[in-house]
Amino acid sequence: MEDLLLLEQISKVYGDGDTSVKVLDDVSLQVKAGEFVAVVGPSGSGKSTFLSITGALLSPTSGRMMIGGKEIHKLSPKKMNQLRLEKIGFIFQSSNLIPYLTVQDQLLLIPELSGMHHTNAKKRAHNLLDRLGLMHRKNHYPESLSGGERQRVAIARAWMNNPDIILADEPTASLDSERGRAVVQMLADEVKLHQKAAIMVTHDKRMLDLCDRIVYIEDGILSEKKKK
Amino acid sequence: MFLALREMKHAKLRYVLIGFIMVLLIWLVLFVSGLANGLSSDNASSIQNMNTNYLVLQQDSDNRLTRSTISDNNLQDVRQYTEEGKATPLGVQMTTITKSGATKKLDITFFAIDVNSMLAPTISEGKMINQRTAHEIVADRSIQLEGFKLGDEIEDLASGETFKIVGFTEGQSFSHTPVVYMNFNGWSTISHQQTPNQEIFNTIALNISANQAKQIEKNLPNVDVISKDQALQGIPGYKEEQGSLIMMIAFLFVISAFVLAVFFYVMTIQKMNQFGVLKAIGAKSTYLARTIIFQVLFITIVSLLISISLTIGVSFILPDSMPFNLSTSLVFGCSILFLVVSMIGALLSLYRVSKIDAIEAIGRAV
Ligand SMILES: Nc1ncnc2c1ncn2[C@@H]1O[C@H](COP(=O)(O)OP(=O)(O)OP(=O)(O)O)[C@@H](O)[C@H]1O
Ligand SMILES: [Mg+2]
Repeated sequence: MEDLLLLEQISKVYGDGDTSVKVLDDVSLQVKAGEFVAVVGPSGSGKSTFLSITGALLSPTSGRMMIGGKEIHKLSPKKMNQLRLEKIGFIFQSSNLIPYLTVQDQLLLIPELSGMHHTNAKKRAHNLLDRLGLMHRKNHYPESLSGGERQRVAIARAWMNNPDIILADEPTASLDSERGRAVVQMLADEVKLHQKAAIMVTHDKRMLDLCDRIVYIEDGILSEKKKK
Repeated sequence: MFLALREMKHAKLRYVLIGFIMVLLIWLVLFVSGLANGLSSDNASSIQNMNTNYLVLQQDSDNRLTRSTISDNNLQDVRQYTEEGKATPLGVQMTTITKSGATKKLDITFFAIDVNSMLAPTISEGKMINQRTAHEIVADRSIQLEGFKLGDEIEDLASGETFKIVGFTEGQSFSHTPVVYMNFNGWSTISHQQTPNQEIFNTIALNISANQAKQIEKNLPNVDVISKDQALQGIPGYKEEQGSLIMMIAFLFVISAFVLAVFFYVMTIQKMNQFGVLKAIGAKSTYLARTIIFQVLFITIVSLLISISLTIGVSFILPDSMPFNLSTSLVFGCSILFLVVSMIGALLSLYRVSKIDAIEAIGRAV
């Protein structure tokens, strides 16, 4: 099967000269469609940095990177923006919803940003909200939602543009384990159902059984333990 | 403007408050502008309305009509450079009068003109004086408020001469005093002529091209040619009055720019994380910039509309004696300037937004 995501010998160095820190050292990873990858590792090991590079938020110091067969490490910031909008769905550590948008508008923002005012955007939004059990909340603002509901809205938002790749940075950090598990379960189901690729950074060992692969980052070195 | 409107709707109170400040500032600007404009015509409408574009003054008169002395010889010289009827003498004499037989004094300014020249004022009541009379005058309407009527006699306290009011004109003031028009026969009775066979007056009003003005200035060494605007600045008190009002207006514009700049800057700083998220999910900087520009323009335009209505409303209840004059072009000019100023105020925020990095959004606990 084709690799949706390909990282080859990615390195990232922060700062320059005497104060430079090598956060990622020759990291390689391939993710196929339908795979759900967990990234674990101690604090400060470079997980967020890794995810940022994968999500075209940060350019690597060296290395090659492809999303859906397209080289992206050489793109201009503007092209990267476009790429994020079309191909990548983000779920952040804290849900990071826009406080002044209702649940429904959080989702409609995505087609608005891509400048495509498709008529079926609303239908798609409602579909997603329905699937995530949020229909009764569609006109609420984030401030009146529970943590789990917010995280589910963030997931719906990440799915809104039908991305190839879903990236999640500790999506369960602000949730209790039961709700956290439900959220991760939803991610796993989506990946299987629509043949996407997903990478999730997590500290929570109890979620790992829901993932297909687990990679470890320590001191900028990535290693993978085969499951079972 | 998906984000801009929804945000303003959500944070109504903040935007209403800043809008309120803007309304007050713009209102004050319009009011002071109207006042400056009104005072300016109350002060100097005779020069503003005068059918002339350049004036000839004696050399080194500091642009002051009253300080300059021009002789008949000068007039003949100047006329060599202008077309027929485009150069005409003007005498200016500030003085104090009383109604004949009364003691109440009134400051006025005598303008001596050739009654057939381009300087002749439009008559709104009564008739124009003729060339020959020596004791008839046409006065600005405003002296009616002091109790003068058509046919009344006035006495010039400086010379003791009396004149009869045969007509009224409008919009004729000089240094806040009403202007009284006379012919040169009248002029010679009140001015102290040292050389009886040579007429002396203060200035020559011209209606010429800029080129001709340069020519005269160059070829006649003992006179200056000044523009009408310079002549206005030379009216006693005009520059000081307008200067302080214009300074106030300028300050208000600067304050508005700063108030808007600070407000939007603080808002932008508060929303840094949000902007980071928006960028991470694919919003372009230009999209975020447009959102801010839209909000700034929206607030400014709404405030402008409210302030303009308020100012117009207030102008109706102002007493007539209050010199307040707000023209459409003034309102229009102020509005344009305000829009420009508000955009300048938004620049700082736009700069911050252009620097926002999508990376802000990821790996942050809050
Ligand atoms: N902009 C930066 N400039 C310099 N160093 C940075 C920068 N961002 C991160 N680092 C450093 O890179 C290392 C990895 O950071 P990263 O955020 O990727 O860790 P992490 O694995 O996500 O940690 P955590 O689990 O605590 O979120 C850290 O030592 C951090 O101090
Ligand atoms: Mg992190």
